[in-house]
Parts: sequence; structure tokens; C-alpha cells
Amino acid sequence: MENRLKEEAGKLLKEGKVDYIVGYGKGSVKFRTSPLITNKEEELENLVINPFIANNLSRYPIELKARVGIVVKGCDSRSLISLIQDKKVNREDVVILGVPCEGVVDIKKIEKHIGKDIDQIEEIKREGENLTIQANGSNQTLSFKDAIFDKCLGCEYPTPLEYDVLLGTEISPKPDMEKSLMRIKELENMDATDRWSYWREEFSKCIRCYGCKNVCPACFCERCFIDVNIPQWVNTYATWQDNLVFQLIRTLHVAGRCSDCGECERACPVGIPLRSLQRKMVEEVKDLFDYEAGVDKDALPVFTHYEDTDPEEFIK
Amino acid sequence: MEGDNVYIPHVMKIEKVIQETGNIKTFHFNFKDQSQKDKFTFKSGQFAEYSIFGEGEATFCVSSSPTRMDHLEFSVMKAGKVTAAIHELQEGDEIGFRGPYGNWFPLDLLQGKNLVFVGGGIGLAPLRSLIWNVIDNRDSYGDVIVLYGARSPADLSFKYDLEAWDKGDAIDMYTTVDRGDDAWTGRVGLIPPVLEEIGPSAQDTVAITCGPPIMIKFTLQSLAKLGFTPEQIVTTLEMKMKCGIGKCGRCNIGNIYVCKDGPVFTYAQIQNFLSDEF
Amino acid sequence: MGNKKIKKDQLNTLFNELSKDCSVLVPTRSKGYIGFDLWDENNGDFIGWYKNTTIPLKANFFPKVEDMFRFNKGEGGYEIKEILPEEESQIIFGVRPCDARALKIIGTLFADTYKDPYFLKRRENAILIGLGCNEPCDTCFCASMGASPGESQDVDLLCTDMGDELLFETVSKKGEDLLSNMRGLSDSSDGDSSKAKELREAANNKIQRKIDTSNLKEKMRANFENREYWENVSMKCMSCGICTYVCPTCHCFDIHDENNKKDGLRVRNWDSCKFPLFTRMPMENPRHEKWRRVRQRYHHKFEYYDMNFGVIACTGCGRCIRECPVNVDVTQIITGIQSL
Repeated sequence: MENRLKEEAGKLLKEGKVDYIVGYGKGSVKFRTSPLITNKEEELENLVINPFIANNLSRYPIELKARVGIVVKGCDSRSLISLIQDKKVNREDVVILGVPCEGVVDIKKIEKHIGKDIDQIEEIKREGENLTIQANGSNQTLSFKDAIFDKCLGCEYPTPLEYDVLLGTEISPKPDMEKSLMRIKELENMDATDRWSYWREEFSKCIRCYGCKNVCPACFCERCFIDVNIPQWVNTYATWQDNLVFQLIRTLHVAGRCSDCGECERACPVGIPLRSLQRKMVEEVKDLFDYEAGVDKDALPVFTHYEDTDPEEFIK
Repeated sequence: MEGDNVYIPHVMKIEKVIQETGNIKTFHFNFKDQSQKDKFTFKSGQFAEYSIFGEGEATFCVSSSPTRMDHLEFSVMKAGKVTAAIHELQEGDEIGFRGPYGNWFPLDLLQGKNLVFVGGGIGLAPLRSLIWNVIDNRDSYGDVIVLYGARSPADLSFKYDLEAWDKGDAIDMYTTVDRGDDAWTGRVGLIPPVLEEIGPSAQDTVAITCGPPIMIKFTLQSLAKLGFTPEQIVTTLEMKMKCGIGKCGRCNIGNIYVCKDGPVFTYAQIQNFLSDEF
Repeated sequence: MGNKKIKKDQLNTLFNELSKDCSVLVPTRSKGYIGFDLWDENNGDFIGWYKNTTIPLKANFFPKVEDMFRFNKGEGGYEIKEILPEEESQIIFGVRPCDARALKIIGTLFADTYKDPYFLKRRENAILIGLGCNEPCDTCFCASMGASPGESQDVDLLCTDMGDELLFETVSKKGEDLLSNMRGLSDSSDGDSSKAKELREAANNKIQRKIDTSNLKEKMRANFENREYWENVSMKCMSCGICTYVCPTCHCFDIHDENNKKDGLRVRNWDSCKFPLFTRMPMENPRHEKWRRVRQRYHHKFEYYDMNFGVIACTGCGRCIRECPVNVDVTQIITGIQSL
């Protein structure tokens, strides 16, 4: 796939079909990749596709304001479609290079499983359904499924839903919803008091770095409510109450746009399980409106259009 | 009010509110605690942090003169959350005040020199502190010219000062507006060309200018044309501030903190980084 | 006074003893990230896994949000009541040399001209027990920043992990006093000292990541207006505040009031030069564009701070590299400047 990508990306730049390629490059940290944004053909040699391509790159075309050749996984394609639906990205301005994806490795899960930290891990190799992890000179085997992000476990769209070039062969979805939604189910099963204290504890950790908001492709407002102080909707300092309210409002604002890409949780430096909130909202939107974000670029976004047949009276 | 915590403000009482223009007000205020007032001194050009409790703090210069300490003054353009709350203030209301902070107009450099003041809009606020200071020590300076401009006659602030300076013989007063109205019989024109038309000599002269960045930019060019060197031009830098004491990092530009190392600079001191960041 | 050592299995007893007189903080991961928390016997296992905290030590002295004073409007007008940190003394165990150094670096600013009572009071009441790193992380580059993973002059006592034992070495007078009052320690030998020295050298040699700081100030000044460079390196940045908030030397803050005119708190909280609002004024914003904000952060650390205080405001802890969601890497940025 990597070679095919370099080839396709090279053609796009050479033929002047795009101004930039947005893909993944080698990271400067072990087992990580880093967004590679370039308009130089010679840099395309550094493009990679591997089980560590965690970033959702679909935000970049908004900012670049140019024609972009962009690499997307299945989940990322939904974010991009959502942005196209919301007219933040023009379909004509992006050439979508689709990567069928079996899941992205969550290094924290590996650390936990093998009881060693990233600095001790020398190599991670995919062998069929397993990963062989070499740490401190000895090998350990781990099922690939046990090493990927929770969101990947429940992935229903491993093949991008929208693409101009598909860089590999289509993958049929094998979602394990039970595992993917385990933490959410646990939270649902808590009684309200326990759940409240759970979130209180979690949001006490928040430092208001806004990593969650700034990596989120659904958080595209030019001016976020949190940056408005007339009126001051929420305090910008990090008390647990304000942190919680900030995140709840954010959750509501991205409802119907969030495709459960999990970037908010991955970015969070203090490990707040933000995906539990976002994914719960994805379920709610599905239940209430029979709508899934970013699966159809021609569909009208669920919360920004209205139909005469709407059963609610309030809007009529 | 505790002793040595720099972040704790004095409580002050508003004594008078003057509506300068549609969105600018001047407030006369005084210490609630006389013993604090007795200890307080400041110099023209210095600023302070003003609080509306429950809304927050904002930064403004002290616009009255240290030669007239009966009360203090500050002027505010309504622009955001705190300034909107300040505009609600009535006589008798209380505010927080900490300062004075920052450096001041270099009186030692100005002594014995001719002075050219160029102010635009609310930029006259820090200048008027110095102008009154100069008037109150008139013998120490040479010729003094004040050029003040605003977008329209309605946007002219401190009209009572302009009138007093115009009537008196201490200074040469010029007022201009970008656009006049039916009642306006005065000068019409942007500050920089008007300045060039007045054409003050750069010989033994220091220019002191304050106003919106775009005005400063072109005024600097006009002053250069008139032969002023960067060392002969004094200006104030505008940068977002919070703590006022060189810690919070907001007003850092180049290796200076505008709040602690400024806000008053000669053009020579800042021309290096001014080009790129402003 | 000579150096001392203690068997690791005696540490619990030592911490229990110390906890009787003051609060003892040790690294824990009980919250889901690594930070300093009050010692109890359940979190005594950190020696086995602890590399460094997620949130730097600065947070214990300059917290993400803190109360400054309370204002209250009574019949006679506003009353203001200062809120200072508690006087209680605190021992922080397991401080890494990079973070101790960072605390010293920002301490210079907090004590400069106008004293910052909140930071300084906490600093005054704290005793730092350093723990040298034998196994630096992949992201560490302290050795390039005038420091070394196993050594510190910025703590009160410095520990070295010797395997079964911890060696305690005196660095400051405060540390010497504390050590003389600690029970259950035995005298260490010259052999221990030379073993510690070897461990430190070995640790130093393990550091892979390097930057060149020679003539860096000048080099940065010369490239300040190199817009192409800064646009390129900032392209992937998401403008979040992670790098600044996990940085042990980033110290920018904001001041806010609780939204209550009658009775409320004035608080200060961390703020970040990566946010567009940081420098936004009603009429303009000198750093509206992302590349200008990115440039500001590195210039502040590597040029301006050095000009003002004679030290670069970076200790090579590597947190920004580790935590950045898009892997912006300070060492690549500085190396890039050096190669211009």
C-alpha cells in the first residue's frame, strides 16, 4: 500500500491536481507516525502506512484552504464526509486516498498487556492475527485485537466510504460491539450517584489544554463557544464543574458529526475517557434519528435541516 | 488590603464619569483609604490594572497628570467584557486598582527640548497625562506642539482639554478629523499628512506619539521624512496584558515584556521586532 | 555530613515516619496519569515503574487553577481577603532532575522584580528529594540542555537507585537537615559513591536525542523573519495547549473572576501562547496566524528567556514530544534552525 500511495501522491503533485499531500510520515517517537503535509515531491518518499497511523487528518483541508490529496482510513473518511456535508470542505478540492484499515495499534494497551513501558519495547511485528512484541530482548505474543483502540474493535466501516483511489483491497467489517462498547456499558450500568462521582473524578483531571477540541474534525467552529466571553457560557479555568460542562456542551455540539474516531481521547494528556461520552452520543443519535455521521456525503446533516414530516410540533 | 501581595488591588471610588465619545468614557477616581493615597505616586505613561469585581481586570494608563493628584483618571473604550462592565460604572461605585506599573515617558530626555505630541483617538489618554505635566512645568521645555486627530468630530476625546490647550498660550494646538460633518469648521485630514504640513523641525525636538497601530505606522514614516531619528521618537506599544508585572507572558514580544519593560519606548528600541509582529 | 543509603524495602517505613511531621508526596498513577500524590502504603511501588510524571512538577507550585483572593461586597463596600497557600511544609520525593531544574528556571521569573507570593510561598515550604534517572526515556534530551539525567543541583537531596538500595546525597542545607533527621538509613561508603557515579555516566550515555544549543540565540534571531521555515514546521500543529501545559517551564497564565459581583474569587489559571486568544486585542491580534504563535513559543524559550535570565527555558524533559497528538518535535525544530 505504501508504494502505491507514494506513486499516486507523486502523480497528483506532478500533474498539479493538488497543492498538498496530507498523509502520514514516520514519527519522531517509537511506534508513532506524524502527519506529513507537503507540496514537495521529494518528501513523498517519507510517506508511511502501518498499524500506527492513528491521526485523523481530515481537519487539515479546512485550514489549508487548498486542493489536497488526503490519506484517510475508514473512520477518517466519515469525518471528511461529514465536513463535506457541512460545506467546510469541497469534495472537488480533495483527492481522497483511501486506506482499508484493520485497526490502529494503541501502544498503551500493549504497555499494559506486557507490563513494560514503551521505552523497553524494541519492536512490534504483525504476524497474521498476532503481534510479536520484542521488549528487553525477549519476545511476547499478543493478539492483534487486544492491541488496537476500542473504537477499532467496533469498526463498521474499515474501508473508506468515499475515495478516489483505494490503496488496498476492501476489508469486510467484523465489529465486536460488545468489546468496543464495554466501557460505555459499564458506565450505563452504574447507578447515577456512582456515575456522577466517576465523571467528577475524571473531569478533575482536565487541564483545559483543548487538545480534545483542537484535534476533533467535528469541532470546526471558527469561534468556539469557549472563546466567547460575552456572555461567559463557561469559565475558562479548570474547575471540575467547568471542565465537565465544557465537555458536555462540546459533546452536544458535535452530535451528528462525531463518527467515533476517538482522537479526543487519544489526544487527552491526562487520560480522560472522552470517547465514552462521544460514543454514547453516537448511539443516541442513531436511536433517536436513525442517523449515522459521515456515511453519505449527499445526506443532509441531521441537526441542520428540517423536514415537514418532523413529528415534533415546536418548530412548525 | 494586604501588605506585599502585588496581585491584591486597592479599592477605589469613582467620583465622576465623563462620556467622551459614543464608546469612550473617562472616569475620575480616588482611593477609598486616605493613607494609601498618601503613599501613592506615579509618573506619566504608567498604567494600572483596573478590576470590576466579578468581571475581571483590564489594563489602562493613568490619564491624569502626576502634577494634579487631587484625583486620578482613566479612560476606556468599550470593546469587550470588562470594558463593557466599566462603562456601566456610576459615581460612587467601587473598582479595584493595582499599579502603577511599567515605565514612563523619559522626562530627562524631554527636558529642555521642543516637544511634538501626536495623538490619535483614545491614544491621547497617556499623552494628556504628560502634556499637563509639561504645562505644569512649562519653563523646563522648549516649544510644544500638540497634534490630535480622530475619525470624526464626534470621535474627538478630551474636548475640554483641547479647548483649554487651544485657548492657553502654553502650547500650539492642532486638531484634525479624518472626515468632518456639517458643523465642523476645523481641519480635515489624516494625522500623518497634517503633521508633515505643520512641519515641525527635528532640531532639538522629541516627538511623542500614541494611537492606533495604523496611525503610528504612518506617523513614524512622516516623522522620518521630517528628519526625526529613531532616538528622537517616543511611542507606547500596545499589547494584550494581564498581570501587568512581567509574569503572565501575554505581552512578551522580543525579549521584552511590554508591561514591565514598557509600555514607553523610543522607536530605536523597538524598530527591530516592530516590523514583523505589528 | 556524609551520604546515606537505605534498603528499598525500608522505604515504606521511612515515608511513614516522614509523613508524621509533614505531607509527603510521591509519584502515583492512581488517577490514570502519573502525578505526585500524598504518600500511602498502597502507592509505594513507584520505584519499579516510575519514569516521570505526566504533568510536570511545576503544577505543585503553580497549579492549573488557584485562588488569589476573595472579594465581598458588604455595606461598607468591597472587602478583599487574600488567599495564600497553606504554610504546611511538604516533602516531594521522586523529583526528576529536569523538573527540579525547570522549577529553578521559572522560579527566577516568579521572583524577579515583583515577587509572586503564590509560587514563592509554596517553593519556600517544599523540600525536593530528587531521584536520578538510570533509564532515561526515548524522548529525553536533558543532556543537551546543560543537565544530566542522574545529577541535580536543584534539589535538596538527591537519590540514586543502586538496585536494592537508594543512595541519598546532600545537595542543600535544607536537605542536610532533613537527612540528619531521617531514621533507618545507614552510612554509605566510597564504593557506593563511585557506583552511583558510574550509573550516572551510563545514564548520560543512554540519551539518544540531542540538540545543539551553541549560538542558538543568534541563529534564532537571524531566522526570526524566516516565514517559510516557521510556516512549514507549524503546519501540522493543532493549536492546542498540550505542549505548554505539560512543559515544566511554560508559565504563562490568565486571571479571571468568578462570575459573581457580590462575593467571589479571583483565580489564576494556566494559559497558552498556542491559543489565538492569548494575544487577541479588540482591534488586532499580532499572533492571529498559527506560525506566529509557534514561532513565539520557541523564541520565548530559546532566545528571549536566555537573553533575560541567562538560561534557556527548556530542560529537555521531552514531554512535549511525547504528548503532542501530532508529534511536533522541539528537537527537530531546533535542529532545523541550526541547519539553516
